[in-house]
Formats: sequence, structure tokens, C-alpha cells
Amino acid sequence: MTTRLNRRGFLATTGAAGALSFLGPKVLRAQEDGTLRFGLSTYPPSFDAWASNGTAAGTVKVMCHRGLLSYDAEGALRGELAESWDVDDDGVWTFNLRDAKWHDGSPVTAEDVAWTITEVQKPDSAAYLQNQLATITSVETPDDKTVVLMTSEPQAVLPEWFANYNMPILKKGSARDDLMGAGPFKVESIDRGVSITVSANPDYYKEGLPKVERIEAIVYADENLRIAALEAGDVDVVEYVPWQAMAQVGDNPALKLDTTFGPFMYLTFNASKPPFDNPLVRRAVGHAIKREDIAAAAFYERGAPLEHLPIPDASAFFNPEFANEWNYDPEKAKALLAEAGYADGFDCTMLSTAQYGMHQSTAEVCQAYLSMIGINVTLDLPEWSTRVKKGNEGTYDLAVMGTAAANNDPDGLATVIDGSLASAYSRSYGLETPEISELFAKGRTIFDTEERKAVYKELEKVAIETAPIMGLCWREQGYGMAANVEGFANLPGQLTFHSGITLEDAMLG
Amino acid sequence: MLRYIALRSLVALFLVWVVVTVVFLLLHLIPGDPAELLLSTGNIAADPAAVAALREKMGLNEPLWQQYLSHMAGVLSGDLGASFRDGASVSGQIAQRLPRTLEVILAAALIATGIGVPLGSYAAVRADGKADAAISFFASAALSTPVFVVGSVVILIFAQQLKWLPAGGFVDFSDDPLEHLKLLLLPAGTVALALLAVIIRMSRASVLEVLQRDYVRTARAKGLSRGPILRRHVVRNALIPVLTVLGLEMGTLIGGTVLVEFVFNWPGLSGYLVSAVDARDYPEVVGIVMTISVLFVFLNLVVDVVNALLDPRISLVTS
Repeated sequence: MTTRLNRRGFLATTGAAGALSFLGPKVLRAQEDGTLRFGLSTYPPSFDAWASNGTAAGTVKVMCHRGLLSYDAEGALRGELAESWDVDDDGVWTFNLRDAKWHDGSPVTAEDVAWTITEVQKPDSAAYLQNQLATITSVETPDDKTVVLMTSEPQAVLPEWFANYNMPILKKGSARDDLMGAGPFKVESIDRGVSITVSANPDYYKEGLPKVERIEAIVYADENLRIAALEAGDVDVVEYVPWQAMAQVGDNPALKLDTTFGPFMYLTFNASKPPFDNPLVRRAVGHAIKREDIAAAAFYERGAPLEHLPIPDASAFFNPEFANEWNYDPEKAKALLAEAGYADGFDCTMLSTAQYGMHQSTAEVCQAYLSMIGINVTLDLPEWSTRVKKGNEGTYDLAVMGTAAANNDPDGLATVIDGSLASAYSRSYGLETPEISELFAKGRTIFDTEERKAVYKELEKVAIETAPIMGLCWREQGYGMAANVEGFANLPGQLTFHSGITLEDAMLG
Repeated sequence: MLRYIALRSLVALFLVWVVVTVVFLLLHLIPGDPAELLLSTGNIAADPAAVAALREKMGLNEPLWQQYLSHMAGVLSGDLGASFRDGASVSGQIAQRLPRTLEVILAAALIATGIGVPLGSYAAVRADGKADAAISFFASAALSTPVFVVGSVVILIFAQQLKWLPAGGFVDFSDDPLEHLKLLLLPAGTVALALLAVIIRMSRASVLEVLQRDYVRTARAKGLSRGPILRRHVVRNALIPVLTVLGLEMGTLIGGTVLVEFVFNWPGLSGYLVSAVDARDYPEVVGIVMTISVLFVFLNLVVDVVNALLDPRISLVTS
């Protein structure tokens, strides 16, 4: 009896399912010329507006949402929902809103902004900027178009927070994963795990934008297929061009390659136990590794050595005197090891992941060079999920990591080297450097750029001595596109993952 | 007969339960925490308090046996739960994706049978000749080339070089039938190639065996020409074992399409399993594995029953 029911039920469900796939809603197909097809590297794990949910999610979020500010193609701050912003001598920030409408036609008001900030501030919000926004002590809305923010102490980098793609403003009372926003595109349809289609928002506050009628964001999880799809003309733009394919895309007359140096690879240490609790040992590791080989092996020559803190040389905060402080010098490495009491070297494990070739290759090169100064490294290469967990728990001695800072301001490096923050796989484990934490805090309270430069120079000096992380190499981050795509740009440096903001200017020539 | 079917079904149900239990336990044994993963994408550390709150919400703080029991209770009442990632209904996802996977497999089976049976029969008729050698060599090559190699090569040829077909992706049949079929062609062809080898070998062996039978000799003695003999007597009888094998292979293919779906970006069920495991999305993984195992044992059951009906030599009680 049970069987029959089961089989019948089974047949009924499969039958119904089969019928479903053929009776899907009829969608009018858009004209080819008005649709830009964007190849995502993965399906967004969520559309949570304020969570850090990766590049692909960020790209979709900036299609539909806008924050108070954003970055232009050169990486400079610009107004979005806020037309202008200003700070007084007491460090009180005032944002003046423009006339903008939500996708549902209602106006964007100061109340919406205040509600958004209050939601993100909640201790359990799990928002990317929860810690930062928690320093905002009062939010005042004198009228519908003005928002006044007071912080516990002056915050020079506050505008950067509100330009982040994980800090869009939502309409008061919205669900966090609702893509109903004030951005240039509205959601048209979502095929979970497959594609997200958005269409131009006619009420968008920028005259004449967006330039395309529709964007179809299609997921190509396999990097080779993503490039194949671009070459075959199935998509117009792809993110995350794999390094081995950059030359091939760049040399193809039908395609364009747009890359920037921004994200970087580095080593984190478990300093909760010997030997890496000793800064001499950490510096020895830095002097033992020849960075050019990492750039060659992991990034097909699309990388550049990084022998200091990841502050790019184009930044106003770059310190040329520290540029090669962690240079390749095996003799110096051995001397430092001997000074630390490990003249004969030691054994240790290095955590990386086999899921991403660049992480594995980086680890293999480091392993080879460390063996030359007597450090015998055993590689631990689990898949990414396990690597994240082990990193958070400190189940490693050394670990390979790759990331981009939160923004191009040196304050963005706090997530990487401020040991006073909670334990995390993007930072070394159990490695607190009070001086560094204090200097970060101090840097945020100063508004004068020259004064700030002095603070971050001091910070880098301390970091060079204590090695809270060990820089390895910069890596190029690239978008590939068809030759007829205009207006879409890869934002400079650490902002590369914000590039989706320029989709409003993108068009097919 | 009914008793046989009932008995076999009970065994099948037991098997499904074992598979689901093992998968459930394995998932919880391997490291990786779904809550932590959800909150720590984009290289940003997850806040421990937020992770703890999410774990509580997901019910991951209960003892394992309690989680298992409540999950099983859900399964028995037909509720496969909701995705950890975005709360989408697991059964809804399966209903949407399973037909897509089945479509690839069925299309592959059609292609493989359509090409494999004639090729295999021809090789048997020309046994030990040049054509036979060539066909057998092709079958061995098709069987031993990994699916992702075949996939990458056909994408390179048909999409990147010739630009005849899209590299991969999916469009609903109802939206654009022609585009849908175009997109189906490469993945189905890739799956078909692996299947083709089995069909060719099976048809060849089976036709060879039938050719030795008395009734074929009788037909020849009656002066029938070779074409009608093959069509009417040989191939028809030789097809039974081929279809049995095809039925069994279909079950294997459900698992075998994982790579193909990944390579061609075909949003079916098996490819989705990979991303669910990656995200440690427990309800989705268990739901998908259960669906695949149900299908698998169901197919085997059907094949056994059909064989039992066709061949009285198979004892219904002891098999």
C-alpha cells in the first residue's frame, strides 16, 4: 500500500514538475540592443543590503540600490542620495538629500536614512559596517531633506562608510533583502541560481541614466566558461577574469580588458603560540620569500611584489621609505631566525585552500622558499568553507589570504591588521598590537590630510617592525567586455569591487 | 508478482532512509559552519555574536539527534525544509530543477540510443572487420575521456571558434523554444558520448549473440535477405538487454550530470548540489540527495520488475 502511494505521489510530483517547466510564464524577449548581459562569478548567497555578501551580490545591489554617497570612475567620493555633505568644527556631519524616489514612487526622505542607520547599528545586525555605525550617537532629521549625524568622537572617514556598496539606504520598514531601492534599475525577474534581470528605472534621479534598458546578470560559476561565453558573444561584460585568460582577452580585438591593481595576497600568523608569537620570526618569513615567483606562479605575471603594508604607491598615504622593508633577503631571514632562537628552523603548518588556484599556488611558492631557511612547512589545503572556519578559530600556524581593503583610505586596512577587532580569518590570530589599534583610532579623529599622513606613517613604521601580517603581492583584478561596451569602468585600487556602480553609465555602442 | 514488488519497494525505501541518514551525519561531521559561511563572505570576518544568533535561528544549537529527528519528521510529512541561504523552499527548488536534469539525461539517452544501436549492430554484423575495429576503438575512447574534457573541447569548437552554439546557460522552453534546444544540445551531447560507448558495446554483444541463434539460421534458410532478418528478428530481440542497461545507466547519469551541468552552466539539480554543499546548506543537500536516491532506486526497481515480467527465468521470490 505504502509503495503504491509513494510511487503515485512520486509520479504525480515529477509529472507536475515536468509540466511546470513547460508552462513557465511567458516573458517578452527584449530587443537585443537594449540589454546588457553581465557574467557574474557566482550566484549571490543573499541580497541582504547591509551584509558583506561578496562581489556578485555587491554588483546586483548597486544596480538596484543607492547609498548617500558613492565613488566615481576615478575613485573620488561623489553624492548620490545626498546632494551635498559637510562637517563642522565639532565633527558633526550634515547630509542634504536630493529629490529622489523609491522604485515604488514614494519620495526618499531623511526618515528613511535615519531608520537605515538605526537598523544597521543594532548589535545583532551582522551588518558589514555595524561596528563603524555604532559610533554614531545621534541621528537628527530637522526636515525631510536633512540628516545630521553626531559621533562619540570625530570621524574623518565617515563619508567612506556611506559610499560603501554594503551601506545602501532602504525605505523605512523594508526587508533587508528586498531589492526595492532608489537605484538605476528595478528587479524584473529572478531565476534563483541562474540569473537576475533588472530593467531601467524611469524615475532615477540622474537625468538620462541609466543608458541601457535592461541588464541580465547571468551566473557563470566556472571561470573558463565565463571567458568562453564572453568570446562566444553570449555576454557583454564578465567579472573576475581569471589571470591565465587575461592576455587572451586583452589580445582579442573583439574584446576589452580593464584591470586594476587593488586586491592583495598576504600571510596571516597564529601568534597565540610559538614560534609566530615572536615578531622576529614573522619578519624572517617576510625576508625569506621571493615575491616575483608568486606573481609568476599564481598570477601569470599579473601581480606585483608587496613588501610593505598594502598601501598602493598611487595613494597619498604611500610611504616610499618603507616600500621594500620586507624585501627578499635570505641571509637576513636566517639571521633573524637565529636571533629569535630558531637557528635550526622548525616545523609548522600553512593553511590555504585548494578551491582557488591562486591561493594554492601562493602557498606552494611560500613553502618552497621557507624550506630554504629551515622552516619545514606542511600545507593544509581544505576547501574554502573549511579554510574560513579554521582561520576564524586559529587552527593554523601560517595562512595564505587574499582580499581587498574596505576602501582606498588607509583606515580600510583595519580589517586586516587591527588585532583588537574580533578574531577573523582575514586577520592574524591572537596578534594584538595596541599601538596599531591606537593609531587607527587616532587617524579616524583627524580631518587634516597632512596630519593623518603622519599618523599612518607612524602606523606603518610600527607594522614593519611587528609584522601583524606579511605582504606578498598585489594582484590585478580584471573585467572583460565586448569592444562595443562603453561607460563601464573598473574602479581603481581597493575599490575594484565597487565597479558595478558604473553600470548606470554603461551602454552598447 | 505484487508480493515481489512490495518486497522490493520496502528494500528500496530502507535504502533511501540509509542514504539520507548517512548524508545527514556526514554533513554535520565535516568542518564548516553554514552560519559562519553566510556571514563571512567577501573576506570579511563574521561577528561571533551574529553567528551565534544565526545558528540559533537555524536550529544548529540543538543536539544532533534532535536535529535529525525533527528533519526526518519534516521529510515524512513531505516538508523538506527551507534553504539556509535565502529561505527558498527546498521542495520548490527541486520541483523546478529536477525536470531540467532529467531533460538532459533523456535527451542524451535518445541521442545515444539513436546512434549507438545502429553502430553497435553494424559492428556486430561486420564482426572482426575494419569497421568493427574502428567503432570499438571509438567506443573505448568515448568511455575513457573525462566528461569535463569533452565539455571543454566542444565549447571551444562550437561556441568559441565556430560560434554556432552558445557556450552555456539556460532559457526556459516556454520563453524561447529554439534557444532552449540550442542550449540543450551541447550538454546532452556530452552526456550522450559517455552513454554511447556503453550502448555500442551492449548492442554489439547482444546482436552477435542473437545472430548465432537457430531461428536466424532458419530465416536465412528460408531465403530471407539480410536486411529484413536484422530488422525483424535480430535487432528487436537484441534490444531487450540494451534497454535494461540503458535503464540502469540512467540512474548513474543523474549523478554523472554534476560536472556537465557545472561546465555548461545548466541549472539542473545535480549541479546545484555542488553549490549547496559549498555553502553547507544542510536542508538543500539532504533534499537533493534524497531526491536523487529515490530516483535511483525507483529506476532500479522498474528495471527489475520489467525484467522479471519479460523473463520468466527470474525467480520472483529469491531475487
